[in-house]
Amino acid sequence: MSVVARARVQLLAGNVADQIAAGEVVERPASVVKELVENALDAGPQTVRVELEDGGKTLIRVSDDGAGMDREDARLALQRHATSKIRTAADLIGVATFGFRGEALPAIASVSRFELETCGDGDAATRIRVTGGRVESEAESVRQRGTTVTVRGLFYNTPARRKFLRATATETRAAVEALTVLALTRPDVAFALTSDGRGLLDCPPAARLIDRVGALWGAELAETLLAVSHRAGPLEVTGFAQRPAQARPAGRKGYVFVRGRPIRDPFILRAAEAGYRSTIAPGDRPSLLLFLELPGDAVDVNVHPTKLEARFRDKFFVEKVVEEAVREALAPLDSAAPLGGAGFQVSGAWFQTEGSAHAASGIPLDLFGARSLTPDTRHQTPLLQVFETYILFQADQGVAIVDQHSAHERVLYEDVMRQLSGDGAPAQRLLLPLTLDFAPAELDAIEAHRELLARIGYEIEPFSGRSIVVHTAPNPHPRFEAARCLQELVADLAGGRFGGWQNRLERFAATYACRAAIKAGQTLEADEMRQLIVRLLSATLPAHDVHGRPSMVQLPKEELERRFGRT
Amino acid sequence: MKFTITREQLQEGLAAVAAAIPAKTTLPVLANVLVEASKQGGGLRLSGTDLDIAVSTTVPAEVDADGAVTLPAKKLIDIARELPSGPVRVTAAGEARVSIESGRSKFKLLGLPREEFPSFPAVKFEKAWKAAAGVVHKLVGHVAFAASTEESRPILNGVLWELRPDRMRMVATNGHRLAKMDVPATGGSTADLIVPPKALEQIRRLYAGDAEIELAKSDNHIGFRAGGTLVYSRLIEGPYPNYEQVIPRENDKQATVDKAAMAAALRRMSVVASDQTHRIRLAFAGGNVKFSVQTPDLGEAQDELAVTYEGEPLEIGFNAMYLLEILKYMPTDEVRITFKAPERAATIEPVGWNDPASYMALVMPLRLVD
Repeated sequence: MSVVARARVQLLAGNVADQIAAGEVVERPASVVKELVENALDAGPQTVRVELEDGGKTLIRVSDDGAGMDREDARLALQRHATSKIRTAADLIGVATFGFRGEALPAIASVSRFELETCGDGDAATRIRVTGGRVESEAESVRQRGTTVTVRGLFYNTPARRKFLRATATETRAAVEALTVLALTRPDVAFALTSDGRGLLDCPPAARLIDRVGALWGAELAETLLAVSHRAGPLEVTGFAQRPAQARPAGRKGYVFVRGRPIRDPFILRAAEAGYRSTIAPGDRPSLLLFLELPGDAVDVNVHPTKLEARFRDKFFVEKVVEEAVREALAPLDSAAPLGGAGFQVSGAWFQTEGSAHAASGIPLDLFGARSLTPDTRHQTPLLQVFETYILFQADQGVAIVDQHSAHERVLYEDVMRQLSGDGAPAQRLLLPLTLDFAPAELDAIEAHRELLARIGYEIEPFSGRSIVVHTAPNPHPRFEAARCLQELVADLAGGRFGGWQNRLERFAATYACRAAIKAGQTLEADEMRQLIVRLLSATLPAHDVHGRPSMVQLPKEELERRFGRT
Repeated sequence: MKFTITREQLQEGLAAVAAAIPAKTTLPVLANVLVEASKQGGGLRLSGTDLDIAVSTTVPAEVDADGAVTLPAKKLIDIARELPSGPVRVTAAGEARVSIESGRSKFKLLGLPREEFPSFPAVKFEKAWKAAAGVVHKLVGHVAFAASTEESRPILNGVLWELRPDRMRMVATNGHRLAKMDVPATGGSTADLIVPPKALEQIRRLYAGDAEIELAKSDNHIGFRAGGTLVYSRLIEGPYPNYEQVIPRENDKQATVDKAAMAAALRRMSVVASDQTHRIRLAFAGGNVKFSVQTPDLGEAQDELAVTYEGEPLEIGFNAMYLLEILKYMPTDEVRITFKAPERAATIEPVGWNDPASYMALVMPLRLVD
């Protein structure tokens, strides 16, 4: 005790407090970019430009053409807890601007050589220089409407922090990422970023978010995205989810915005991925861009100084709605990849025949749309099987191409999931019971799945040694080969195929669906094809098979016309 | 090669072999018909094959010079159809090429050399069994439908044809249902043949009911002969499953029903039954059978029919398509259905069939879920 000198409690000097705040908010050049660009966006600009030198370690300059400030405001802005964005504590609830804490500018100014140049409407421009938190000069200047903030020598006076800065390339990348996130929130604002004179980002103002996505990440990625638009109660989810077939194990983009504010929330992304259940290959991570809109009082964004977290009043509800939103986006048939051009809608009305009318009842049919089709074409859309694997047919706006195995797999998977959770499948008793031999590991798999096997229709009894007797078998289609299906199913279960699937029921259903489905290379009768298409169109996720591949691709009429030079 | 034949005889011969010629084939010569003229044979032999089944027939023709060639079957058939009625003169015109003339019409047709045509299986008819075509037709017509069409157990794709000194029997099953018919016979010997249904269909098509069919087998082929027409087929290798063992002998419940009324009720239920399993439920009690069907996401249906039923009440599930199919082949207006238990085989037999043959079908139930 005696070694420690007894110190008196004192209020910290303002600039010390600012440096402490800087520790939370200003971590690296990217956080400076984020804070300054957020301020710029709150000023209502048309264009925001960012310049970096040496990854921002030497210079960060953010300029906008927004509202600007007069001299009085500019002076105040550099004081701690000075903000134009809220007035009372009540304003904090449902705050709509990016900033509101009034900490960023003084915090940044306290750890750099800082210059603020701003000009409001009809005012004279002001230039204020601050070094290490001390105002050095304040002068008139000449500038168009807007604000430019220049930050030089970041952390020059906090060598410990400066030491922790990473390589120039790393810091540049982080700054680009920070600007990218903000660019996604405001497609109407043009963004540009140059690093050491090189343009790294240049997004013109866009009318649609998808165009902004294209400008940021390239049109190729943008084309793999499906629009999400779902509302449940107070929560609206919009944005984009990647087609399952185009998702890859690495390099995914996952962004969540709450009330226009980027947040990091692994749980929401996980909920969104849960929406992909049964459509995606294990290990593939889809790109997601989700905007959550909900009333201000249902979420608190003031949890963290950098505002990267949000607290929801009802987190489980939010996660559930996000999952539904993604699932809904995957449901339409045009969520399958088109061959060039935009996709089109395949309507169920196309395949309504008298005998199968009920099968297509799962599809919302356009009440009046069917009238434009003459009964003849409606009942007899020709189906063409090619390579004994694909089924082609003409749909409203182009040619649909269905993979017969994938399509059947999807149909059976949904059937089996119903049977596993419901009262089981009809099982045909066998006149001549099958006796089959299995390896020990396979016998274990049979034992472990006996209940599930019985539900789908296989009643199995041990016979002797490695043999079992099958008394009943499912009969899902006339080409079904009960013995072979069981052998392959058991081998898959024993070998851990679909091991990436979390849910045991789903894993079993997917394995069975894959083995029971008609195979590529089987010639189908016209009736069989028709029935398959009708059943596919009434499935809930018709466009995707259970391996993360599409079950259908579309060749839009537009694309044909373009290729033949008819447009 | 040179011969003259009437257009009608040519057409008749071609019609007989046409059905054995595949529409699509990877072996070009199989799309051709083998034409053999022989003075000694007394006419023209026409043959076609898809390698599984071969059909060969002889038609009368005036042969001036022996010879053989293969000609594109479809073109030859089209020519024969379009020619005017009258004699047709066919002459070899070089290697694998013939000229065809009739009246003022002339054709030259390119073929393939005779050597490329596959040779027929060596089946010897010296020790042939004999059977009346009408009897064979009856057996095939009532049994072949039950054979399996899926490929995992090839043996079930065939029809078992049992020849015994005192009877002939055919049996077919796909493992879910079975059909069996016996007819008395005399003087035959003993053999078990497993014949592809396609071959039996050819026999039904080619041989008139009053003909006598000779049949003979080699190691793995069977041959049929009647008149000038031969059918050869590959045999499916046995042994056929022991079907006798699965035919129930202890079914203690039996219903006698009107076939047409039962079929109509089944068809009504099928409307609402699942497209895949066609599962319907039958409940027999007293003088009634109640039909019911429930399909999730679609709906349900009930029906009722008066029957003569003896035994404890019974509820049992079936694939309606299997029952309908069997009823279709039942030769009498009334049929008898027998049961043991909801998980045991049911049998269906004609009632009051005035025929020396005996016929029965068997169908396995579907598991009922409560």
